[in-house]
Amino acid sequence: MATTIPTSAFIATPHRCSTGRSSAIWVQKAQFSASSSSLGVSLSLKRPSLRLVSVRCEANGAGMPVIPAQERWMYEESEINGPDIWNKTWYPKAADHVNTEKTWYIVDASDKILGRMASTIANYIRGKNLATYTPSVDMGAYVIVINAEKVAVSGQKRSQKLYRRHSGRPGGMKIETFDQLQKRIPERIVEHAVRGMLPKGRLGRTLFTHLKVYKGSEHPHQAQKPIPLPIRDKRIQFVKK
Amino acid sequence: MTRVRRGYIARRRRKKNSSLVSGFKGAHSRHTRTINQQTIRALFYSYRDRGRKKRYFRRLWITRINAVTRENQIFDSYSQFIHNLYKKQSFLNRKILSQIEISNNIGLSKISYKIIKPNKVNEERLK
Repeated sequence: MATTIPTSAFIATPHRCSTGRSSAIWVQKAQFSASSSSLGVSLSLKRPSLRLVSVRCEANGAGMPVIPAQERWMYEESEINGPDIWNKTWYPKAADHVNTEKTWYIVDASDKILGRMASTIANYIRGKNLATYTPSVDMGAYVIVINAEKVAVSGQKRSQKLYRRHSGRPGGMKIETFDQLQKRIPERIVEHAVRGMLPKGRLGRTLFTHLKVYKGSEHPHQAQKPIPLPIRDKRIQFVKK
Repeated sequence: MTRVRRGYIARRRRKKNSSLVSGFKGAHSRHTRTINQQTIRALFYSYRDRGRKKRYFRRLWITRINAVTRENQIFDSYSQFIHNLYKKQSFLNRKILSQIEISNNIGLSKISYKIIKPNKVNEERLK
């Protein structure tokens, strides 16, 4: 598991660097948030020290600035020593959930049971697989689904599962079976399944936009370098009896 | 009777209330009647939610620990992890565990290895 530690969770002891700087040099917070990567699989595997309390000098680049003793009174404790991780539960800052640095996953939906796949997808989109999960913040990843028209359901659902929608006018209920909808708009099936498993609300609607479903095996997101979605459900593969 | 004005008494009382609802939207921080109602609600919610805050954070820690435990795959779930933690009579609470897992890459997996039974660890390694 190669999740990187969020920037805001570092604690550091101020170390006496032998540079002889007498005036406090304040590094812009934005600066060292951008230098260390946010969450997700980090391809560079730039892991900081394993110990909680690590010594940070200017060599690291992303460390706390050294504040000389005379000027300590000007700063708050969290600016001197880093965040108090034992008394304040971590909450993500803006730099910890930048959309451009989120992981992209890809799933091939061929012969996968619809609901089981949708459940795993929804978990990853919501960010529930992460240590930094926060319900009020979009910490999750992007998920691409390809071959959506080949998704499988067990039992008689192919001809019996109904998809209903209503136009709003009286008598405006439209009903389709799974089969019919798959012929017409196959992406909608996966989208409908995942949307039902994401939270409903403002955040849920934004999360839903992180799901990208495609009919064939082509998708326009090669530049995001998606990695295969790790699926741990053992019964997700459709077995023809 | 001589005419009696009430003076500043009402204004003083309302001014005390209006500091409690500063920042509320629209009329809720401006009009005295709605300010009155909103202070009652605000105080009620803060009283009630002081208890809820404890519940909410414990819930958050548990979800976070669950997430990491399932990723680490040493234990199958949060419940198994906590069960083993209790069996080993560890005093680590959920708050500390979830903060460890955020600030330290392998903190929770190290703890898991310490509390899991030895033969189980070998099974995991063989997989």
